Amino acid sequence: MERWRGQSEITIVTPVKPEAMSALGELLGAMARDVLGNDVLPFGRLTNTHFARFFLLDSAQAHDGIQLPAYLISMSDIDGRPEEGLAELVDVGGNGIDHLYSHCIGYPTALPASRQARLEYLRAHIVRADVNYVNTIGRTVQQIRGEAEVREAIEDFLDRGGPELVGGNPSAVRAAIREFVTSDGRLNWALTPAPAPPLAYRVRELVHFVVPVILGLLLLPVLVPVLLVWLVVLRLHEIRDPSPLVKPDRAHLDQLRALEDYTVQNQFIAAGFLKSGWFRRVTAVVILWLVGFGARHLFNNGNLAGVKTIHFARWILLDGAVRSVFVSNYDGSTESYMDDFIDKVAWALNAVFSNGAGYPATRWLLFGGARDEQAFKGFLRTHQLPTQVWYAAYDQLSALNIVDNAKIRAGLNGDMTELETQKWLRLL
Amino acid sequence: MAAVAVTPAQDLADLQGLLVRGYGNLTSACFLLLEIDEPDAARAWLALTADLATAADSRPTASSLNVAFTSSGLRALGLDSTVIEMFSNEFVEGIATPFRQRLLGDTGESAPASWAWGGPNGAPIHVAVMLYAVDEGALATLRDAETRRAAAHGLRTVSILDTVDLGGSEHFGFSDGVSQPAMAGLGRPDRSANTVAAGEFVLGYPNQYGLLGERPVLPRSADPMEILSLDVAGSGGADLGRNGSYLVFRQLSQDVRGFWRTVDHATRRPDGTSDPVRRTMLASKMVGRWPSGASLVVTPENDDPSYAKFNDFLYQDVDRDGLRCPVGSHIRRANPRDSLDPSPGSSRSLEVTNHHRILRRGREYGHRVDVKTLFDEVGEDEERGLHFVCLNANIARQFEFLQKTWINSPKFDGLHEGDDPVVGPRQALGDTFTVPASPVRTRVRGMPRFVAVRGGAYFFLPGRRALRYLASLGD
Repeated sequence: MERWRGQSEITIVTPVKPEAMSALGELLGAMARDVLGNDVLPFGRLTNTHFARFFLLDSAQAHDGIQLPAYLISMSDIDGRPEEGLAELVDVGGNGIDHLYSHCIGYPTALPASRQARLEYLRAHIVRADVNYVNTIGRTVQQIRGEAEVREAIEDFLDRGGPELVGGNPSAVRAAIREFVTSDGRLNWALTPAPAPPLAYRVRELVHFVVPVILGLLLLPVLVPVLLVWLVVLRLHEIRDPSPLVKPDRAHLDQLRALEDYTVQNQFIAAGFLKSGWFRRVTAVVILWLVGFGARHLFNNGNLAGVKTIHFARWILLDGAVRSVFVSNYDGSTESYMDDFIDKVAWALNAVFSNGAGYPATRWLLFGGARDEQAFKGFLRTHQLPTQVWYAAYDQLSALNIVDNAKIRAGLNGDMTELETQKWLRLL
Repeated sequence: MAAVAVTPAQDLADLQGLLVRGYGNLTSACFLLLEIDEPDAARAWLALTADLATAADSRPTASSLNVAFTSSGLRALGLDSTVIEMFSNEFVEGIATPFRQRLLGDTGESAPASWAWGGPNGAPIHVAVMLYAVDEGALATLRDAETRRAAAHGLRTVSILDTVDLGGSEHFGFSDGVSQPAMAGLGRPDRSANTVAAGEFVLGYPNQYGLLGERPVLPRSADPMEILSLDVAGSGGADLGRNGSYLVFRQLSQDVRGFWRTVDHATRRPDGTSDPVRRTMLASKMVGRWPSGASLVVTPENDDPSYAKFNDFLYQDVDRDGLRCPVGSHIRRANPRDSLDPSPGSSRSLEVTNHHRILRRGREYGHRVDVKTLFDEVGEDEERGLHFVCLNANIARQFEFLQKTWINSPKFDGLHEGDDPVVGPRQALGDTFTVPASPVRTRVRGMPRFVAVRGGAYFFLPGRRALRYLASLGD
């Protein structure tokens, strides 16, 4: 029986022992060779995880000379609360968690560590994402996989039904499909509509949306002058900030491309420094909050301002807002992804990424920037990191497929007009 | 900074003619693929070739010669590797890399390892000399003269690719080349939906983003004789790319009997006999046009040759669901017009699609198929197909994007499965073709691959000043 669970993002950032970096890299490489079944963390046994990844962020020197540590970063998108996701990670990983995290600073030395000790270590290193984008809030792995199976079965049924069905009128075809689903014990669960968000959840989201909006309106007399001053200072920064045209190194590109285009989906990580100085740091924090707010309340239903190919994405700030990491799981090639950024959501990318060092010059935060195609693609590829280990739970489904499948399932129930029926049948 | 010219209209004598015309009047053509053995002699050859190369400023009536180089060809000519690195990655690395195999679908029997030319197991391809003439006799004379001239200058002929004139059709039997993008301010004007900036095809001019894009700009000191044009961006450098283009060349072998037998099997009557009307219908649904070239959007029920050259249609308003022209059909993938995000049906949609256009300059090869044996169990299956040639300024954003994201993708425009039913590589989820219909779609499953890749390379088609510069490298 399906129930509303909501989704959570989990980001675990653990500093790596400097002497353990290469061994950890090799271990991640071994995991990547058998993502589903490896003996460190057999991702194939995770039941509530949409996407998961492990990657290394190298140590680096900040603008002020301070040495920032290297991190092992684990990210996953799961159904349910973060605590449930952590528990599954630890239970599926078992001793593998020790194997992996003993490369990291502060992990218990007495091995095997207890389940409790493992959980505590991971919990202590959770970093909350500053922006978390979910294609469709509340749709579970179980639902996505189940609805894909229902669609497949209906398509096969239509193929078998052939001429008789094709000759029928729309309502007759739909009735035949419903009868087919009803009669199949492995499919008839789909006749119950997908669970809707409970009232408590909806109220919480409404409050989370309305309170900042009201506060913002009340503070408008203060905000407007602040905003104007901020804009002027921003513009001065934009004129001054260097934005070199960088062509990515071929060896680096080869490392990235070797991990791309094996299934319908791809992974992406870009990491870099924020521009130095408090102004850009504060700007980045505020903008990320606004983008996160927009992702949660406005772009939470399959469409990120015209981009419909992103499953999950997130931004996090690290080391006290000195470094930032952007991560996503999306459909299609990196080239098409970058083109989507340029053609459809350049303004949003500019707002966030222009606070990063080396980004193509923007004007008034939203303009320019990503529209400089060559500079933008060079910037992204240069700042991109390989995803050492990547797991995707339904890697042959595009985000649009998942939306269609949910509509197909929803249409198994209820009354439809002739026109609605025709429209529904075109989903098949 | 002086105003940047937006079209090469004032400089057509510097463009090679292939950029502005496909030489449709020169029905005979062949392509010489050469390897440079002796750089000095090759440069002497190029000095003369630069003068022989047909320019874009007038339409040749008897014959034409154009010449293009791979990145290894430029290296063999003696171009400095730091300069070569200024060209796009795609060109520098070449078409036959593991990454591009996945992008382009060059796997299995289409893998570069088994290519007849351009693959890792064959001789290196450095130069393509493209010859066109009014008839086979004139072409033979030209071909003989050029192979002799090449041989005399230390250029070894790796392969000669012959072509055939099928009168505007391709081997499957469909009119081809109906739709080509027009360049703004150059050549015959077209409606705005089909017009793109010259910089999308010719290096050194603003592209659809209003930008000059990636191109090799040398320090002035590298061009002491001042052969090249100055960089219009005002860098003070010499633009080796200006008036040039990237030329993608792929030899695509067509299994014509496989195509028609598959279509025939899928449309047989319940009693097992062939149904020629439904057969042509399904094949046309796969292509998106009728054999005459008429669009299914315009004339969905039957072929109407009066629309053979008609190209002024869009998808979203009349055929959003593909009931006329299937969403997965070849022409809808090759140019989705106004059907994709953002806001299908809008000028924004067209604008985004127009970032991914190519100029096609291909020619067919091999004998016309014998239609008498087309549906037989056993028939002749000699080698035939298309020498696919296209021009673009950004191979990654144009040719490769089109091939990967539109032609090869089983998820094109919201589809669940199926790649291009005509030319698709049948990678995972690729072998299903969905024909939208009322009340419900039909599907053809288990479609084999009809088009295999037999060779290929990425070339640079330089402007004529750039040809002269390359010829001067040893001086």
